[in-house]
Amino acid sequence: MFQTISIVAFGVTVGCMALNCIISPCKECWRHPLRKMVHLFTLLFIEQKLSPMGVLRKLVYLLALLCFVVLAVTGFYPTIILGEHISGYLVMVHATFAPIFAICLAVLAVMWARNCRFTHSDWPWFQRIVQRVTLVKSASEEAHYESTGLGQKITFWLIIILALPLILSIILSMFTIFGTYWQELLLGIHRYTALVFALVGIVHIYLVIRTKMQ
Amino acid sequence: MGAETEEKLLGDESDGSRAPSIHLIPLFTENGDGEKGGKITPDDDPLLPFSTRWTCGECHSYGIINKGWHFNVADPNVTPGRPGQPWILADARTGTQIPLSYRPWPGTFKPEQVGLTAREFTRYFGRHTPGGGAGELETEDPDEIMREFISGKLEINCLSCHNADPAHNQGEYFPQVVRENFRWAAAATCEFASVSGSARDMPETYDPFMPEPPEDAKKVPPGVKYRENTFDHENNVSFNIVREVPTYRCYFCHSNLYIDKEDTEKWSSDEDIHLMAGLKCVDCHRNSVDHNITRGYEGEASVSTNPLVATSSCESCHLGVKDSSLPLAGRLGAPVPEHWGIPPVHFEKLTCTACHSGPWPSEKTILTKTSRAHRLGTLNANKSKEALPHIVAPVFAQESNGKISPHKLLWPAYWATVEDQNVAPIAFTTVTEVIVPVFADVNRPTSGDWPELTTEHIAKGLEALAKSVKGTPAYISAGKLYKLDDSGTLSEEEHPSANPYLWPIAHNVRPAAQSLGVRRCEDCHSTDAPFYFGDVAVDSPIVAAREAKKMVEFVKVRPFYTKAFAFSFVFRPWMKIIALGSSAILAGVLLLYALKMLACIAKALTERD
Repeated sequence: MFQTISIVAFGVTVGCMALNCIISPCKECWRHPLRKMVHLFTLLFIEQKLSPMGVLRKLVYLLALLCFVVLAVTGFYPTIILGEHISGYLVMVHATFAPIFAICLAVLAVMWARNCRFTHSDWPWFQRIVQRVTLVKSASEEAHYESTGLGQKITFWLIIILALPLILSIILSMFTIFGTYWQELLLGIHRYTALVFALVGIVHIYLVIRTKMQ
Repeated sequence: MGAETEEKLLGDESDGSRAPSIHLIPLFTENGDGEKGGKITPDDDPLLPFSTRWTCGECHSYGIINKGWHFNVADPNVTPGRPGQPWILADARTGTQIPLSYRPWPGTFKPEQVGLTAREFTRYFGRHTPGGGAGELETEDPDEIMREFISGKLEINCLSCHNADPAHNQGEYFPQVVRENFRWAAAATCEFASVSGSARDMPETYDPFMPEPPEDAKKVPPGVKYRENTFDHENNVSFNIVREVPTYRCYFCHSNLYIDKEDTEKWSSDEDIHLMAGLKCVDCHRNSVDHNITRGYEGEASVSTNPLVATSSCESCHLGVKDSSLPLAGRLGAPVPEHWGIPPVHFEKLTCTACHSGPWPSEKTILTKTSRAHRLGTLNANKSKEALPHIVAPVFAQESNGKISPHKLLWPAYWATVEDQNVAPIAFTTVTEVIVPVFADVNRPTSGDWPELTTEHIAKGLEALAKSVKGTPAYISAGKLYKLDDSGTLSEEEHPSANPYLWPIAHNVRPAAQSLGVRRCEDCHSTDAPFYFGDVAVDSPIVAAREAKKMVEFVKVRPFYTKAFAFSFVFRPWMKIIALGSSAILAGVLLLYALKMLACIAKALTERD
């Protein structure tokens, strides 16, 4: 069940991103793909102009990215590809990177939360979305300015929100406070939260890349 | 009579009353043709023992009962199921301990492979059977047919399980079996008869139905005496028969003695928690008249025809039956376990017994004695802790279903011949004739322990055997195969035929508070936890071969991984602290910005007003 849901969810997410690339293509990327690839690669480097705090933030972000990839691979590879539970060396690697990822998330939450606040500039965009969904015309004039990085903000807060059940579901199961029923429930929460978390994480990375490329 | 018919007899089906049935019944003999004889009266001459086949078989279909698990050992059509305790032919003089079974359990040998006929097997091991099985197998050997006429067959002794009379003496079965008093053995155990003499001592011309005094006056022919007042005025006899077998009857054949401390007396160790809770063995190990008793292990349902199997395992009583329309958990008051803090993966990888049964694992496996292997409960049983055979426990090993469970283990030691890597044991009589004189000068401990052999002794034994057997003689012990190469030098190699034989431990079940993992994960997941890293004694009469292997080899997991995984538990408290701390920070940030958001909304609403 989880295997099927995971495969479908990842497929749909990747499909949506591909569709987004087609509908709203980054013209520069298609024109100079090699140059853009190099540019993408340079995003992994620390820029010289960054302040010490900026360097730290970037380092933590990159570490979190590495942990995310490792955790996603070790967590989903056995489930999706092998159709079995995580075990063996994979579980050890998973459990080693998990606390580092938790620390990174906490640090990023503290460092990035202010930048990811929803501001006035995001409000019209929200309004427009609501209007389009509900088909209700506002009496006020429709705003015309675009919000930049709103998707990143949303995915950021989703990541922070999802991280809590993701971490707590597995950590609490390690204490002798839950019986088998709750253990299984917590494991289920961990797996499904991890799936949503991974999808949100992928979208977040995609949005960051798109922003940086434009 | 009903013994062989398909027709249901009086006692084959109950009428629903839970009250015990009173057994005031006539006794019948078996005649020389193996048919039903006459009714026994105290004035009969000669006075013959009663036959359970014809006495009990009057009301209970013997032909159905003898297909039950305890009696169908030699039936090749019976699915063997999970490997169980073998019979062990042990002999310190020849350095032999070899697991035997009529059931095709991998690692055991058929008795005929060591040259034992069914009759000889019965004489060796019938003592701890309830009769039937090999004791009733037909033979085509004329000599054995002659002997069988005198001794009779070792028919099912219904009394060994169902006689609740306190004077029933199952221990008396052993001397009768050794004396080949098979026909008399059941009577000898019961409270109202006594048996003397020995069928084995009688000449082949002896007729137990028309006995003549033997020529040798010192030899006593087998005979039975019934105590006064055994028979009532109608020559019926009262038996204290119970349907539900008392636990102490099971114990005669199924006792275990774990030698984990100096004082191993009964009062210094606990019994199975289920018995202490008031259950009997047969509350879980159940059967109908077919006596196809449930063994109670996980997965038995796939090989058993007993419909009670599904509701007779640990899981079915404590957790209920999966996909059942009825709530079956808690049968007989079984507590439903919560397994606080135990990750569910444990239930996929371990049997219930892994954590709950057998002795608590220690740094090294301990010697274990069992009724059947060590003749416990019989006259002059060797009480020494080192007495052969050497069974060690608990050994955590993987079962065929991939789950880990505690086992008893026996390192086979036997003389064999090797041809094209095929190893075949040499007949035990040949081994005795050849090897005993070779080892005559070897000091044998009075405890019944192994003699202290060297590789030189083995080489001498192999040289002697080479003159008596076809093929290349070899000696199997301690997981190795020893043989002489072309130059006459003793060589040794690891060989599959030398692999230890393991069978799972089911009892004693410890209380939940004494189960593995109850204190902490490190009960098993630490770098020195006996569960993975305990020493399994490698047993052998060859002193130089006595070593130890790590438990992890039997669990069949990668040692490095297991060690690394166990080591990771050192950091687990840190991981918990880090994860909880990170969660607290994340929650704090969320809370802070949620409050800020509320403040913004409140401000916006206020401004609008």
